Amino acid sequence: MELKGISLCGGKRALADKAIKSWGLALLLAFAATTPAQGAEPFAEQVSAFLQQTQQAARNSDYAGVFTYQQGANMQSSRIVHVVDGTGERERLVILDGEPREFIRHNDTVQCLVPAKELVLVEKHRMDRFPGVLLGENHDLDSHYVLRLHDARQRVAGHECMPVEILPRDELRYGYRFCVDPKSKLLIKAQTIDGEGEVINQIAFTSLQQGSAVQAHELETSWDLRNWRKVQVATQTVDVAKLGWRVVLPPGFQHSTQVSRPMKSGKPVMQMVLTDGLAAISVFIEQFQPSQDSRVMPKGPARNGAMNIYGARIGDHWLTAIGEVPVATLHQLVEHIEYVPPAGALH
Amino acid sequence: MQGVKLDAQTDSWDHTVSEWMDGDGEIRTEDLDSPYGRQVWDTYHLIGDVLRSEDLAIKPSDLFYARVSKAIDAEPPIVAPHRSRFSAARIGLSGVAVAAAVASVIWVALPYFSESAPDNTPVLAAADEGQVNDYIEAHRQFAGANPIRQVSFDTGATR
Repeated sequence: MELKGISLCGGKRALADKAIKSWGLALLLAFAATTPAQGAEPFAEQVSAFLQQTQQAARNSDYAGVFTYQQGANMQSSRIVHVVDGTGERERLVILDGEPREFIRHNDTVQCLVPAKELVLVEKHRMDRFPGVLLGENHDLDSHYVLRLHDARQRVAGHECMPVEILPRDELRYGYRFCVDPKSKLLIKAQTIDGEGEVINQIAFTSLQQGSAVQAHELETSWDLRNWRKVQVATQTVDVAKLGWRVVLPPGFQHSTQVSRPMKSGKPVMQMVLTDGLAAISVFIEQFQPSQDSRVMPKGPARNGAMNIYGARIGDHWLTAIGEVPVATLHQLVEHIEYVPPAGALH
Repeated sequence: MQGVKLDAQTDSWDHTVSEWMDGDGEIRTEDLDSPYGRQVWDTYHLIGDVLRSEDLAIKPSDLFYARVSKAIDAEPPIVAPHRSRFSAARIGLSGVAVAAAVASVIWVALPYFSESAPDNTPVLAAADEGQVNDYIEAHRQFAGANPIRQVSFDTGATR
């Protein structure tokens, strides 16, 4: 809780600094004039400050509703309840389409309910997702994206919201169109757009309650978990660089999580996550077995829905890069990865 | 379109580059103008430089020789790929050069595709999706505006 308070203060301080600087104050006054009844802080004009605002709203406010993800012909709806109480963040996420799944989160601990198997999978990690979009911290987003505020208002899920475009400065990443509640700063709609401005995928609330309208009792699951099996997910942190992998990061991208995890095939696979704060790329590294040459992992560029994929063999390893970034970015990344067997490999 | 060079093909290609460097045969620059071609070219020059220069040559300890011999005998997959690109017998290198080559092995991606026009990007067929979906779900765990991942779980593996 304390940490959260500090970062919130930090956000506000940065905001105040901005307001004093140059014509930020004029913007503040303009906002005060156009939206006198709301009395909310103005939107930050910088990409990182703006996304911090929406992230803080996603983490520190109460909201409940249904949001829908749409990509091509696919749709998936989820019901979310998010409440901040004396112990921190509590969230319940119910998947409404396909296999029943439920995620119950208390701060960084996530329980995934798998009713078909009467199984609870327990994972511990920071998991920000819609309506939070920022991945990790300390990213230099303003060097790689520009922000465009629009005056026109839109209406989404019965809420008036303000459209904001965050466009890439290069061709290595996609752009985003957001619609944000002007008062609470909560993200109501997000679209990923490619270089031609075409929507690649979108996610938006279709119904939303905020603040005191949220019922805390909705956090409780309707499943009786007493006889369910609880399993800790067996992921293990690894250091990919120490294992001999040399990665040239695409501009703006930083290393995030690096884990070794069992996949469905039963083999452990290393997953190295890179992110520029908005876009994420996973590189999966596994042993290449010539005997399994016929198995169907994509080779070279491939696509699955909104995800681009690039598979390549490096020595006796197979690499699969996956991410919602242009396929050329994945190609470039994989082509620049080198494997230098560490000294220990000779012993 | 640069195809995938494998086994016999690759060996003869390596041999051709080696011959060019010895001054035999006419160099076909167009064949070298690919990431793989340049990689082989650079590797052979590196080996050549190491052979000619005392300064570049690493003077390994006896223990190092012993370890390399042991490693070659055991042929673990990391040290000895099934395409034996650095076969000492074929190129006729001294022990030092072999040691230098082993020590400086750097694996990079093979160029499966010379160019990747996004328009030609194959959309995965239904059969492929089962394999790769597991990876996509694992990726979604760390990506923001995404559908909620269906969670990869295998009761056998997590028990």
